[in-house]
Amino acid sequence: MRTAEIAHLLKLEWQLDRRQKHAWGSMALYVVSTIYVCYQGVRHLFDIPIWNALFWIILLFAAFNALGRSFQRENTGRQLYLYTLASPRSVVLARTIYNGITMGVLSLLSLGAYALFIGSSPMNDARLDIFLLVVIVGGIGFALVLTLISALAARAGNGVGLMAILGFPIVLPMLLSVMKASKLALDGLGWDITGKYVLWLVLIDLITVALAWLLFPYLWRD
Amino acid sequence: MKLTIVKPLTVVMAFLALPMSTFAASGAPSWLQETMFASGKINTVVMVVSTVLIGIAIWMFALDRRLGKLERRMKEQTNAGQH
Amino acid sequence: MKGWWWKLLSVVLLLYVVIVGLGTPLGPALVHASIDRIAPGPISLEATGYNTHFAANTPEVWLENDGQRVCATDVKVLSDVQFSADFNVPEGFRTNLTSLWAWDAADGQVVLREAFFTQGLGTGIAQDDCVVSDAARTSFAFPNRSILNETIRNLFFHVPMWFTMMVLMTIAFWQSLLVLRSGDLVADGKALSAVDVSLLFAALGLITGSIWARATWGGWWTSDPKLNGAAVTVLIYAAYLILRGSVPDPHKRARLAAIYNIFAYVLMMVFIMVLPRLTDSLHPGSGGNPAFNQYDLDSTLRAVFYPAVMGWILLGIWAYTLHQRTARLRSIYDEANDR
Repeated sequence: MRTAEIAHLLKLEWQLDRRQKHAWGSMALYVVSTIYVCYQGVRHLFDIPIWNALFWIILLFAAFNALGRSFQRENTGRQLYLYTLASPRSVVLARTIYNGITMGVLSLLSLGAYALFIGSSPMNDARLDIFLLVVIVGGIGFALVLTLISALAARAGNGVGLMAILGFPIVLPMLLSVMKASKLALDGLGWDITGKYVLWLVLIDLITVALAWLLFPYLWRD
Repeated sequence: MKLTIVKPLTVVMAFLALPMSTFAASGAPSWLQETMFASGKINTVVMVVSTVLIGIAIWMFALDRRLGKLERRMKEQTNAGQH
Repeated sequence: MKGWWWKLLSVVLLLYVVIVGLGTPLGPALVHASIDRIAPGPISLEATGYNTHFAANTPEVWLENDGQRVCATDVKVLSDVQFSADFNVPEGFRTNLTSLWAWDAADGQVVLREAFFTQGLGTGIAQDDCVVSDAARTSFAFPNRSILNETIRNLFFHVPMWFTMMVLMTIAFWQSLLVLRSGDLVADGKALSAVDVSLLFAALGLITGSIWARATWGGWWTSDPKLNGAAVTVLIYAAYLILRGSVPDPHKRARLAAIYNIFAYVLMMVFIMVLPRLTDSLHPGSGGNPAFNQYDLDSTLRAVFYPAVMGWILLGIWAYTLHQRTARLRSIYDEANDR
């Protein structure tokens, strides 16, 4: 594993995304418009479980939307270029880290928009530090799991539709535990109870990264 | 030929059918009446066992059909080859 | 037919499981009492047993509350499964739930736990404990547990479905590893066959579980960690099949399917191992559920459960080999025809 290579690839990703600003714009627009549609449907929510569930569902679909294009935008020329320059493991690690950061930021942005439109009263009694941590860890977790799935779907040549089918059952366990953890944090429970969920989420994240690191070379070569 | 696949299953099914048929004839020995049919919950067990056997039987028929199709195609092939 | 013995073994084991698993009687239990609350003073009640033998062996009957016992002043046997008993309930029981116990020489001790809501609580009753017998029953019978009762036999027909499914998925996982190592299309066919047959056993596990849940919990499906795990498993392997269907090139298909299978299998195993420990479950055999955690598998259940698991797994592997051989024949045939 070459750290310099990964850092270089990360920079490349960043420059690429900066050049096509519409990518970020489309992600933000997707989240905001989804939340706005929900707002038209339910107005303000005061019930903690429903508020919590709706937030995670929105974030889940935002993650599918944001990461669906992670490997789709690759045109063959660029892929060939990367293929000759960098080792596949560096590519997948860089892409995973980049997606993780993207989703971490996107989940915080979504939370902001969500609190603005749907209401923030369920967060009144929450342990905010734990809740925010769960949101970030959950968002990053979605990104990590879906990165490899996105690459798989792109390779299968069947785009976002296949990605949803492949990704959903794998994300579901994570979604269940992240919903539970954030619900406990919203109820104002401390580390002694939420801690094991957060730990379990971090564990899944680590296993996912390890698997992606192991499997990606087989996916990358053609 | 096909029967050889189904045979073990038939044996199992026959043994399952044994207590049920005795119950239907209502000449069941008292231990059977006591153990198997005294409580409504035994129906759940009977349904569960039947489901498993029916499921495996359906699967076997599907496999049987797949094999049969393959056999027919091979036969057609050899016939066509002879002509 | 090389290696036929384990196929025969599976049939013999399953025969044993069906005969002994369905033929063994359920142990005796108290299932009903005519009243559900008691107060200090004389009371009279009728109790109903299940598979008990009261007629030949007049039972000793007593109430028990927080370790303190009160014996019946009079017991009349009405039939093998019914008796009436009179008590003089004293004042001062410590907890508000009292159990009804009975013992007879044929059945050993039987109990209706937390049978009576108790009034007139205090710091303990004054009178001495009565002496009761505790000689155990010796006959071979399955334990008669509350809620489960006769459906405890499903242990031999529902639970092994999941074991078999896991074994077949592990085979598929192993074959997928081989695919990645060597690009072997035969291994890919084996993985597909294993997944196909494992989905059969998953479907059987889901349906049998649903039938039981409907009869016991009143709903076809509940949100329970074990059920969620089963649902996720089925969804993952359905997705596996869809992924296969969407890639036309066989070598590419083999590789992509193998990657997805390995990824999904590892995450699924971690999920199934960890999540039930994080949340409480109503499912029989789960920790944290007061209705079940006081009991483990006892020796009579084990005598049938282990052969059942063994027999079903062997049958599953047998089905897998049949499926795989058929598919292999077909691909050989197709290849020969293309040439």
